[in-house]
Amino acid sequence: MGEAALELEEVFSSKLRMRILVLIYNLGSLNVSDVARRLKTNFATTSEHLKVLEAEGILQELSYGRVRMYRFNEGSAKAKAVENLIVAWEQSK
Amino acid sequence: MPLHRSVFKDEAKLDINYIPQKMPHREKEQRLLTEFFSFILTCPERMAQRVILTGDVGTGKTALAQNFGASITSETNKRAIKFRYAHVNCREYRGTLLPIMHHAITVFRPTFPARGYSAENILSTLMQVLDEEKTTMILALDEFDSLVENEGSDAIYKLTRLQEMRQGKPQRLSFIFIMRDLKSLEKLDASARSTLQRSIISLERYGKPQLVDILSQRVGMAFESGAVEEDVVDLIAELAFTETGNARFGIELLWRAGKYADAEGADRVEAECVRMAVSNIIPGVSRSELARLGLHEKMFLLAVARYFKQENEQAYALLSEVEKNYAVICEEMSEQPNSHTQLYNYAQFLSSMKILKLEVGSSVTRGRSTKLSLLSIPAHELEKELSGALEQEKGSG
Repeated sequence: MGEAALELEEVFSSKLRMRILVLIYNLGSLNVSDVARRLKTNFATTSEHLKVLEAEGILQELSYGRVRMYRFNEGSAKAKAVENLIVAWEQSK
Repeated sequence: MPLHRSVFKDEAKLDINYIPQKMPHREKEQRLLTEFFSFILTCPERMAQRVILTGDVGTGKTALAQNFGASITSETNKRAIKFRYAHVNCREYRGTLLPIMHHAITVFRPTFPARGYSAENILSTLMQVLDEEKTTMILALDEFDSLVENEGSDAIYKLTRLQEMRQGKPQRLSFIFIMRDLKSLEKLDASARSTLQRSIISLERYGKPQLVDILSQRVGMAFESGAVEEDVVDLIAELAFTETGNARFGIELLWRAGKYADAEGADRVEAECVRMAVSNIIPGVSRSELARLGLHEKMFLLAVARYFKQENEQAYALLSEVEKNYAVICEEMSEQPNSHTQLYNYAQFLSSMKILKLEVGSSVTRGRSTKLSLLSIPAHELEKELSGALEQEKGSG
């Protein structure tokens, strides 16, 4: 059985996790190295955050041989809600 | 300075990348291409097709494919059929399968990493992406000859058998292979060749009356009314006809002649503008092809041009002789010279572009010697063009 789902505030309390979500929302799909490079963070930390977001059902991992990419989980209501939040936020700027 | 009215109303219609909606004298081929791929509108995912589009330089292969791509995309959009057309010039990727297929994947996954997998992985990745997107695709591989020359039978076989290896799954990937000469397929083994040669559309060279029609169409789109008389169109068509019926050459000449007319402050493009333009155009190779070369390829080619300009009675240059000129150019450009092996690779690449001819002979005293000759391009014209291009690169760098 997987880990227990995090509370809402735990998922969104991380600044880096939010930056990851905005980045992936804007670019569609990215691999771990690309996320780390664009956000100037280290690989291991980035990978951990991506796994958390995947476990929460917000992101999904796509695997192409050795290449692994993350994108918003198309079938997930949580993912849709986060996408809507980002859109509303960016439109209000 | 008083502003002079230009002879052009829209010179972009003469750009090499402009694709007209109607292509005079290619209606039959266009219908045939549409017929070959009509299943995409009626039963997508149940069939895949491979079509070879072949013809000489300037016979409209690229324009025909792109024109078809635009029209089938619009038709599939209307019918809500998931479909993508992608056009890749293989020569821009040095005829290497991996970056060509990477380009195809980035149509759907723009941030897909460029490294970290093999050529085989990338073929299956493309199919996986098409499955994820539940879409069909026509991938047009332009200048396919360079892929055949560089990758050989194995890669071509795998590429063309992609669908067959997915028994029972939706048919998602069709190809248009665009090539100048079917002879390059002779280099492939029988099994790779047999997967290719099914549907072939050959574009015949344009005759002079056809070139007149093509040029007249562009004149109407690009020039102010009355700026280009019929006799000028006729002259350009004649010149393009002698240049192997090359419509692209004619269109470039038309644009250049218009530029000379503007520079003279004339209201019309006179025959003299055409004559001036033709004396400043490099036959046999287009400027866009030269512009696409890498920095060191340009420097190497400039070294060849300088050699033949200095030694104008020589038909051949040894690679070692050209290497000396190249070293001087590197010094002028403050660049580190590349190795002899790399220069040999450049020579091979330029030979595949039909700019140089490469011969490897045996020398009595030392190993093998590589002889180079310039094909149809005058050395002084090539030198002028490349010096200008390198000057610009140096300035922008």
